Amino acid sequence: MIPACPLAAVSTGMHADFATVLIFILFGVFFGLLALGIARLLRPHNPHPEKLVTYECGELPQGSAWVRFNVRFYLIALFFIVFDVEVIFLYPWAVVFRQLAAAPGLGLLALLEMLLFLAILVVGLAYVWAKGDLDWVKSLTARPAGEEVAGE
Amino acid sequence: MNAGLEHFLTVGALLFGLGVFAVLTRRNAVGLLMGVELILNAANLNFAAFARYVEHGIDGQVLAAFVIVLAAAEAAVALAIVLAMFRNFGTVHVDAVDRLRR
Amino acid sequence: MFETLALNAPSWSDLRHFVPETVLVVTFLLALMADLFARGRRPAGPFALALGGCLVALAAAVSSLPAGPRSILGDLVVVDGLAGFFRVLFPLIGAITILFSWASGEIMGPRREHKGEFYALVALMAFGMCVMASAADLIMLYLSVELVSLTSYVMAGYMRTSLRSTEASLKYVIFGSVSSGVMLYGLSLLFGLTGETTFVEIRAALLAGRADNFALLVAMVFVLAGLGYKIAAVPFHFWCPDVYEGAPTPVTALFSVGPKAAGFALMIRFFYTTLLSPGGGQAAAGAAAPDGVIVGPADWPLLIAILSVVTMTYGNLVALRQTNVKRLLAYSSIAHVGYLLMGFLMLTAAGLEAILFYLLVYAIMNLGAFLFVIALNNRLGGEEISDYAGLSTRAPWVALMMMVFLLSLTGLPPTAGFIGKMYLFAEVINRHWFWLAVVGALNSVVSLFYYMKIAKAMYFTPGERAPLRLEPLHTAVLILLAAPTLALGVYWTPFKNFVDRAVAGFAGLGG
Repeated sequence: MIPACPLAAVSTGMHADFATVLIFILFGVFFGLLALGIARLLRPHNPHPEKLVTYECGELPQGSAWVRFNVRFYLIALFFIVFDVEVIFLYPWAVVFRQLAAAPGLGLLALLEMLLFLAILVVGLAYVWAKGDLDWVKSLTARPAGEEVAGE
Repeated sequence: MNAGLEHFLTVGALLFGLGVFAVLTRRNAVGLLMGVELILNAANLNFAAFARYVEHGIDGQVLAAFVIVLAAAEAAVALAIVLAMFRNFGTVHVDAVDRLRR
Repeated sequence: MFETLALNAPSWSDLRHFVPETVLVVTFLLALMADLFARGRRPAGPFALALGGCLVALAAAVSSLPAGPRSILGDLVVVDGLAGFFRVLFPLIGAITILFSWASGEIMGPRREHKGEFYALVALMAFGMCVMASAADLIMLYLSVELVSLTSYVMAGYMRTSLRSTEASLKYVIFGSVSSGVMLYGLSLLFGLTGETTFVEIRAALLAGRADNFALLVAMVFVLAGLGYKIAAVPFHFWCPDVYEGAPTPVTALFSVGPKAAGFALMIRFFYTTLLSPGGGQAAAGAAAPDGVIVGPADWPLLIAILSVVTMTYGNLVALRQTNVKRLLAYSSIAHVGYLLMGFLMLTAAGLEAILFYLLVYAIMNLGAFLFVIALNNRLGGEEISDYAGLSTRAPWVALMMMVFLLSLTGLPPTAGFIGKMYLFAEVINRHWFWLAVVGALNSVVSLFYYMKIAKAMYFTPGERAPLRLEPLHTAVLILLAAPTLALGVYWTPFKNFVDRAVAGFAGLGG
């Protein structure tokens, strides 16, 4: 086990890295407090209720921030996450591609396989696109809340 | 103290326990799905840790990569179903969904 | 790390042994594309493509039955007799499903969207099930299970404006994702205990005694939970009745045979490859001994035996008080899983042959029974037992065909179900599991009561008298399914030979 994972060497380095992180945190907190403290000492003290109102580009704020997002957001997010995560396969492939290309016959195979994979993804994307599910404004006419309700 | 296999496994087991707990106690569909994600990632952590400390190879990591993608696909399908549920039932509370059997 | 990149190089020539699966994938993509150009009330293009693709895959599978085990695609997939059998079964199930969905109001009704997608999904599911049957590695195991599950979730919720369908898919996705997550955790433990991902190497590591017994037991139970959910064995069956009742009936028909058979295929592959060592037993302990030696900590066949008894008893008893036929058939399918598990825990070639034969028969008769429900739902708009009152006068031939399916499901002669059960019970008795055989026989008697409830409604309960005409397509497929259900009850030798060859070529039992 030892030759494969020289754990000891790694761990001393790891501790040193965390010390750096700790120093960064301390400095960050210190400078933040410093700036606030100086401001507190220098600024005039003159509270007013309007100063506590949420800032919306200078306009008076309207309504609550807790609105329901359009369902399109979720759909687009779903499509995004699926196609985004597929990229995970591209990275390992790209990393070893040079090695594969050096081996006789494997390079072309690897390239074609990845193209095939991408082609299948493109088919999926084309399907979603052609079905109109990528359109931002799609008529979301309220459907009857289930056709069996009437029959039941 | 060095982080060893047992530490990873402990975190993995904790994640798994939390996931199962969430699945058993949550009545919100989205919360349930979050529990499932915890379970999957517990397994993923195990795979990655075992690949490093037991296998000394890459099969475990490859498996973890596949699981990440499948988890995303599963989440997408599950959320789409939850959306359909919200449209039809007007809630994401799973206890409200009990038209069958009765 | 990269110098350890030892590829058992996959190559294009591997695809020669992967033809049915490749055909199904291409079919899926083509059907999906064709759906974009589909016009008119019903999507003829995707339908024809998916049906044709399944039939081509079926033909390819029949014409290229593997002689012996062959490990392909970098040892992720093994093509052997078992895989050969299932890659015949699944395209067949897919084709039948596609065929009867075409005339089903639930799928092709005027208010449905994404009609073409349905056929593409059936092809994709058939592909996933074929891969389940030939997975030889933890990666492929999980991938294929998830592929089948994801398509199932979508199909269960196919009627997406229907409350019942949405509920079915919600319950399916929640139970499904939890149990597959638990299974994955079990797989991760198994990987950690052995450091291997290929089934054969996992067994080698277990035989070398590298694994801690308790951890192995936990891993095994977790994996069993995932596979048990797939086949709907009892502690993991909660989803089954609701999903079967809520999903569109053609989808229910597919679920009740397809993923279930695939789950069995994977269970056989996984348990017989990793937790069973071939040979040994027979010579040592006489006729009652299994063909393999149990690897691992526990007497897992006994665990499966308990599971089997609980599953069949629960399924049958709860089925007794069902009035909805879909729900009744759901519980009956749980009971059938119990019977099949009896064959699984024998650990013998004969037990496997009995399972495969029964799965084939079960696919035909159960699809038939569900098709009856679909066809009548199209006309009557319901699936309560009382809806079938007086059917013997309204549609005598249809009632008669349903009678055949019901007799076969009960396991009475002269039907295929009888022969299937005969092989199962014969092997159970041969291996001296007498108590199991007795419980199984008692259960079959119980099942007679609820199957005959349907028969009683059709034949003895007075109802409407106006003749009922079904969709011609439905009648045709009903005949297509009823004929083998009867014929296999009388002459089954070729099918038995087919199954025997499949088991002989199974990599697990040393074949």
